[in-house]
Amino acid sequence: MRWLLWIGATLFAFAQEPDFQRDIRPLLGKKCLACHGPDEQSRQAGLRLDTFDGATKTKSIIPGDSSKSRLLARVTHATRPMPPTGPRLTETEIGLLRKWIDGGAAYTNHWAYEKPKRPAETSIDVLVLARLKSRSLTFSKEADRPTLARRAALDLIGVPPESAALTAYLKGGDFEKYIDQLLASPQFGERWAKVWLDLARYADTQGYEKDSKRSIWPYRDWVIRAYNDNLPFDKFTTLQLAADLTADPSIDDLIATGFHRNTMTNTEGGTDDEEFRDLAIRDRVATTGQVWMGQTWGCAQCHTHKYDPLTHKEFYQIYGFFNQTADDDHPSDRPVLKLTSTASTLVLKELPEDKQRKTRIYDRGNYLTPGEEVKAGVPAAFHPLPPKAPKNRLGFAQWLLSPDNTLTARVQVNRFWSRLFGSGLVESEEDFGTQGIPPTYPEVLDLLAIDFQKDWDVKKLLKRIVISDTYKQSSDVTPELLKLDPANKLLARGPRFRLDAEVVRDQALASAGLLSKKQFGPPVMPWQPDGVWLVVYNGDNWVTSKGEDRYRRALYTFMRRTSAYPSMMNFDAPTGETCTIRRIRTNTPLQALTSLNDPAFMEAAQRLAERAVKESPLDPARRLFELVLLRPPTRPEAARLALLQRQTEQDLRSQPDNVNKLLRYSEVLYAEDRVATLIPDARTSPKEWRFTTSEPADGWMQPGFDDSQWGAGPGYFGFFTKPNETTPIKTGWNTETLFLRYALELGDKLPTKFKMPIRTNSQFDVWVNGVSALNNIYERSGHYEYAINENGQKAFRPGKNIIAIRVARYGTSTNGQVFDPGLVASMPLAPPKPGRPDAARASWVVVANTVLNLDETVTRR
Amino acid sequence: MNEKLRTALAATRRHFLTGCGIGLANMFLAHAQDNPLAPKKPHHAPKAKSVIFLHMAGSPSQLELFDYKPELVKYNGKPCPDELLKGKRFAFIKGVPKMLGTPYKFKQHGQSGAWVSELMPHFSSIVDDVTIVRSMCTDQFNHAPAQLFVHTGNPRFGFASMGAWATYGLGTENQDLPGFVVLTSGGNNPDGGKSLWGSAFLPSVFQGVHCRSHGDPVLFLSDPEGVTRGVRRKTLDALKDLNAMQAKNAGDPETEARMGQYELAYRMQISVPNVMDISKEPESVHKAYGTEPGKTSLGNNCLLARRLVENGVRFVQIYDWGWDHHGTSKRDDIQYALQPHIKTADQAVTALIKDLKQRGLLDQTLVVWGGEFGRTPMRENRGGTEGAFIGRDHHPYAYTMWMAGGGMKKGLNYGETDEIGYYVTRDKMSPRDLQATILHQLGLDPHQLHYPYLGLNQRLIGPTDEARVMKDLLV
Repeated sequence: MRWLLWIGATLFAFAQEPDFQRDIRPLLGKKCLACHGPDEQSRQAGLRLDTFDGATKTKSIIPGDSSKSRLLARVTHATRPMPPTGPRLTETEIGLLRKWIDGGAAYTNHWAYEKPKRPAETSIDVLVLARLKSRSLTFSKEADRPTLARRAALDLIGVPPESAALTAYLKGGDFEKYIDQLLASPQFGERWAKVWLDLARYADTQGYEKDSKRSIWPYRDWVIRAYNDNLPFDKFTTLQLAADLTADPSIDDLIATGFHRNTMTNTEGGTDDEEFRDLAIRDRVATTGQVWMGQTWGCAQCHTHKYDPLTHKEFYQIYGFFNQTADDDHPSDRPVLKLTSTASTLVLKELPEDKQRKTRIYDRGNYLTPGEEVKAGVPAAFHPLPPKAPKNRLGFAQWLLSPDNTLTARVQVNRFWSRLFGSGLVESEEDFGTQGIPPTYPEVLDLLAIDFQKDWDVKKLLKRIVISDTYKQSSDVTPELLKLDPANKLLARGPRFRLDAEVVRDQALASAGLLSKKQFGPPVMPWQPDGVWLVVYNGDNWVTSKGEDRYRRALYTFMRRTSAYPSMMNFDAPTGETCTIRRIRTNTPLQALTSLNDPAFMEAAQRLAERAVKESPLDPARRLFELVLLRPPTRPEAARLALLQRQTEQDLRSQPDNVNKLLRYSEVLYAEDRVATLIPDARTSPKEWRFTTSEPADGWMQPGFDDSQWGAGPGYFGFFTKPNETTPIKTGWNTETLFLRYALELGDKLPTKFKMPIRTNSQFDVWVNGVSALNNIYERSGHYEYAINENGQKAFRPGKNIIAIRVARYGTSTNGQVFDPGLVASMPLAPPKPGRPDAARASWVVVANTVLNLDETVTRR
Repeated sequence: MNEKLRTALAATRRHFLTGCGIGLANMFLAHAQDNPLAPKKPHHAPKAKSVIFLHMAGSPSQLELFDYKPELVKYNGKPCPDELLKGKRFAFIKGVPKMLGTPYKFKQHGQSGAWVSELMPHFSSIVDDVTIVRSMCTDQFNHAPAQLFVHTGNPRFGFASMGAWATYGLGTENQDLPGFVVLTSGGNNPDGGKSLWGSAFLPSVFQGVHCRSHGDPVLFLSDPEGVTRGVRRKTLDALKDLNAMQAKNAGDPETEARMGQYELAYRMQISVPNVMDISKEPESVHKAYGTEPGKTSLGNNCLLARRLVENGVRFVQIYDWGWDHHGTSKRDDIQYALQPHIKTADQAVTALIKDLKQRGLLDQTLVVWGGEFGRTPMRENRGGTEGAFIGRDHHPYAYTMWMAGGGMKKGLNYGETDEIGYYVTRDKMSPRDLQATILHQLGLDPHQLHYPYLGLNQRLIGPTDEARVMKDLLV
């Protein structure tokens, strides 16, 4: 019956008085303003329709008389209607225009450029309920305690709550007290820092082609602390944008300026540093506009904004504020602030007055055609710079925070609202301009914005929202309400939406008791599948962290822009190349594959099962639900889990090997913990290889080949024109090619994941028992661990194995050449303890894996 | 599904309604868009059902392969004239480089008389099946921005890739496989990184799925160690039942949608390995492509591409790394390095065309081959001095790409460059034109296909209308 609704809505629209902001402005924006808007360069026929003067002076609109208004004649023209390209105006839209013109054609200012109005009511709930009542609706019932406990914890700290606080609340404790505990938790900062880091386009690498490592994690730590300490948002702003320009900034304050040092540095060979410095500045302007004011200033780097009040020149005037920092797209990422012997971070540093740059407009945004010089300034359509504000980033920060700024407070409030409700009051968080979506509850937005602007207190704002009845509603929805309001714009029910990538992971680890409480510090590398990092040039390896660093909160995971952590990418986490204002939630099979099969999740399942069986041996299913969903299973749920457990146990009884793997999943997973050196290289005590430098007979790499006539010697092989102390040559080699063979004895249970740590500046090929196992033409520094290919892995066998290597020099060596091979592998799992394999216990791992994949688990409701 | 996607899809539907006169009936089909990858009606009748885009990252030297310049051979070793250097930006060339004629022999081939060098004996035999464009011209001369420009329409990050646009506009035929698959070879990801197959502002369901040719073809495809297929099925059955119980109270349609994805994932666990398993192919096929089982190779990937489009995958993107023949060492020069590399590629890519043709798939599969720019007619002098090895620097002003199948003309030689191969003299074509043409052959209007974001109707071809569907290249 959707079409009935559609027709009904149309008739309804016809009957209403057109509201300029709601009905006319968006339609003009979509269908007219690209050619008849603020942008002079693209203006056609000298007509602008975005202002009353523009529209009326050419009689395009005659207020009060639509029949004589040329605008209407043009859009209804029989053969050549306006617009000439793109979708035509619909009957409804023409009707609205007609009514609006007849009603006087009043142009009102875009809502977001008007100051927030304090509503008469100062309670979120009263305002929401009033609207619901006008639609013959009311609040849904309040969600029950376990639901609220979980929802609030995941929303405020991103992990399940501490058991003491949870128990107190579930037993009947005060909800507000529970919220206070969450707000005071050190995990609060970690959750909200991640939200901010999306905006900051944070990553641990430089970006672009080489994407080399970058040390900027102290900035991330600063953000976490700022949220935990409830740093007021105005200070939060000023320090990040301009700490270096404030009076007497501390080291800690300076770290904050890393916000805008998250821009990328291009170290690709042959790139123009100044070109990419310029891009970084443009990014800073665009990002600042989006994050603080929800404006799409980035559009104006090439031309005057088509819809919103920012001219091409004004973009570069704002650019002028950001154009005086010392960073210059240098590979070293200078200026770098050294904090300790091992920690450093990137900062903003203003150039001295006599070294400051001229700022020019780039014609059509083209770096190669700089035009008119401009001075730093703010756009004319907005409030002016506060009196006494310096003409630099600090002054600009003050401008963003000025009480006359109609946007900053609204945009922040809206973002916090969005993270708690799944969608902002203004859904287009990235665009509060004229093309954005107007607020569903403008009065709530304004109320919260006005109050937020008084003290910029973030925790206070969050608490106010979370203790409201609106927030606490159950998210259960009837089919009628769903049809009436599919996206819950009316807020007649609580919010229900899929968790963020980081929370999906952190929740799994936390419920298993695996999540480390350790905070701060350099980024870590939890388990990741092999071969995800196929890096160009710099040969960086993903080296799995040890111990508890494997189980840190997701926001500490090393973020490489060109190759982000896959399981988080699958759940819509951004890459950090550009500012991400909001994540668009999707639903894909890759997410299912991740939470079902990602070994990191499976490890959590194994440990979760262990925990549940230990803590509740008579009813582990109940404990699984309590740990993950903070509620016991219903009777039907318990029965269904019991059935799964029985079926799985039944299957596993005939699979002792799988039982072993499931029960020791962690051990199976971390093959790197079982790495042993099979052939040591020159860094320790190298073994002798059989070698020759003259071309051997065919089949020299085969096991049967007789190498008794060859020489024997250990690495390092090669020669240096000047003696090299750190690399002592044990076996001289100064010809074009070198051939090596080694006989390796292996036991019956073969190791896996064979790798060869090799130091080389030549190309080489490796055979295992005559099978081509590794080919390399790249030069990397130090002993790089090359992976043996799939065929080579399979070629190893118990008993004698022949490793054969052919090394070939590149071109003419001027300094010398060096080669040194080794071999490592993961030793097989120690045999299980004797006794009957515990199929029952193993089956709980499968049940835990299932519980971690429930829709309710990956959702907060 | 988020509001944006709903609105955008609704806009597309409304476009059909008003334009196609189908009327209200189509509204009933609206709810089918709950699966964003379900096949969608194209804007007009398509010529191609699938695309295989072979990107040779680093950029192959057109002067060694396709663009025969005997005059340049005559000028070999002479200093480059000033007017070709003034005001130009180079990646590495400094001062006055010398001209570099190709050391390779060129001959004309086929009925079309296409000039192809001796380095591509296999390709020479199929010139009558392809359209060769020697007049490509771009404005980017660094790898990452140039690759981003070709594949996302913008040299900067933040824009959706061609494959994402294709699946956004058309969905995909086989719901049990990803609609947009990416295969890489050459040892590295391309310089532009994963953004080259990203979805940016489009919903992430449209992003390319990087299928690896060893290990799990798709990450996390295999059940974890210790979990059999039978046990996995039982867990999915339990999930289905438990979710249904929740859904009864909660009423959220997302629950059912999510369960659908779990079932799809389960099917993909069978269908993807099946498709990605080349071992079942006969020996003759392996020989033709020059596959290397157990390794990652362009030959393997070309064969996989045929299997993928055979099984209804909409867009296959192949990136082969290692064509950046600057000539700084034996590893990147136009003799020692180029020869083995082109040998493999020549065989693999020709085998793909022949295989598609023989299976009757070529007409409905658009195959594209090329790099992100060309290489200079001058010999690169890194840091101002000539090294021991021979190579060329990055050159945006003229390069060669070829296309086959999917409605492309057969045996066409399009466009010309000047006598030394520096500038295009006739029929210039830009990456934007390439994007427009590809979308067009798929049945999409490149000027209409859009997604509203940040107040702009974003399009693959960018905000201006300069992109042309190259009608002269089409049957």
